[in-house]
Amino acid sequence: MLRNLKFRLGRTLFLLPFMALATLNHGFSHEPTNSKKISGPQRREVRIPIRDFRLIDQNGRSFDFKTVRDKVVVLAFAYTTCPDVCPLTTAAMRQIQMGFDRIERSSVYFITVTTDPEVDNPKVLAVYAKRYGVDLSDWAFVTGEEVVLRGIWKNFGVQVVRKARGLVDHTSLTAVIDRTGTMRFAYYGTAPDPKVVIEDVRSLLAHRSNS
Amino acid sequence: MYAKREFVNLMRLLLLVAISFAVTGCGRNQRMDRLYAERCLGCHGSFGRGDGPVTVSLPARLPDFRETVQRKSTGQIRRIISEGRGIMPGFDPALRPAEITDMVEMVRFLSREGRDVSWWEKYDTLVVAHCSVPWDLFLGYDDAPEEKRVEKP
Repeated sequence: MLRNLKFRLGRTLFLLPFMALATLNHGFSHEPTNSKKISGPQRREVRIPIRDFRLIDQNGRSFDFKTVRDKVVVLAFAYTTCPDVCPLTTAAMRQIQMGFDRIERSSVYFITVTTDPEVDNPKVLAVYAKRYGVDLSDWAFVTGEEVVLRGIWKNFGVQVVRKARGLVDHTSLTAVIDRTGTMRFAYYGTAPDPKVVIEDVRSLLAHRSNS
Repeated sequence: MYAKREFVNLMRLLLLVAISFAVTGCGRNQRMDRLYAERCLGCHGSFGRGDGPVTVSLPARLPDFRETVQRKSTGQIRRIISEGRGIMPGFDPALRPAEITDMVEMVRFLSREGRDVSWWEKYDTLVVAHCSVPWDLFLGYDDAPEEKRVEKP
């Protein structure tokens, strides 16, 4: 009798999680919602000095911003598992890279700085770059210690808020930095128009040629 | 005699579990909805029709799950979600296998809405009924697997 009671009790306990799950099942009537709004691109002319930084690139090698000081730099903030603006930003950067001829390319450098160092290690960044067909001869995807990245984000005025693993809210910024290390153009919101960025970069390249 | 009775009881129990699976199936749950809203909705839209808010900035039309998912195996859907495709991010570095399973199931649910399901899809709920088992309690849903942990550069 006692054994039977134990069995029944055990059976009830075993079924409890399934019953609870059945209660949690919501059927098909509801829909997930996302109130996130994506603002259109905004271009601003700025003059913000950018400090040198040292991070790790997609090959696991040290990347020193000083080494590209003699070039005009197009730099964007993104992370690999970003579900909204970052893929567009990286695709736009790729278009910008392809928009320059060989001579111009020798004077321009591209950098993507992660906003999610927790997930974006060099290996993950390398896979990401490969998926976009990026020419890595003049483009570095960089990551590093969060404390170092925080200083860089702050320098560029980028706010980063971690929401979950692989999910980060951050200021969507693509920046053009001149050869003196000063940020001259900032594009906020959705991915920048590649044609506009190319023209802005060319204006900085021409400035050097004329001077 | 006692062993036989125990066996019969066990069979009854299994039958009960099977019926509860058949009734409850692998219904959509809040975890799936949250994952979908956070990671997929922006592009794929609330109903998986490829009309999320981000699509206005995309050069190409996104697929409607009702047209494409039916022709794909669970493995294929899983691979796309894990590794990404085109500019769609791969979620494998960030999500746990159980979470990717949730996304696969969510995509399947959305693909069935508003269309006549194939005969085999009617049994899909039973086939995937194991997702109603609270695996996370046994397998540690909240613990990131060792290989997913951050590799410090």
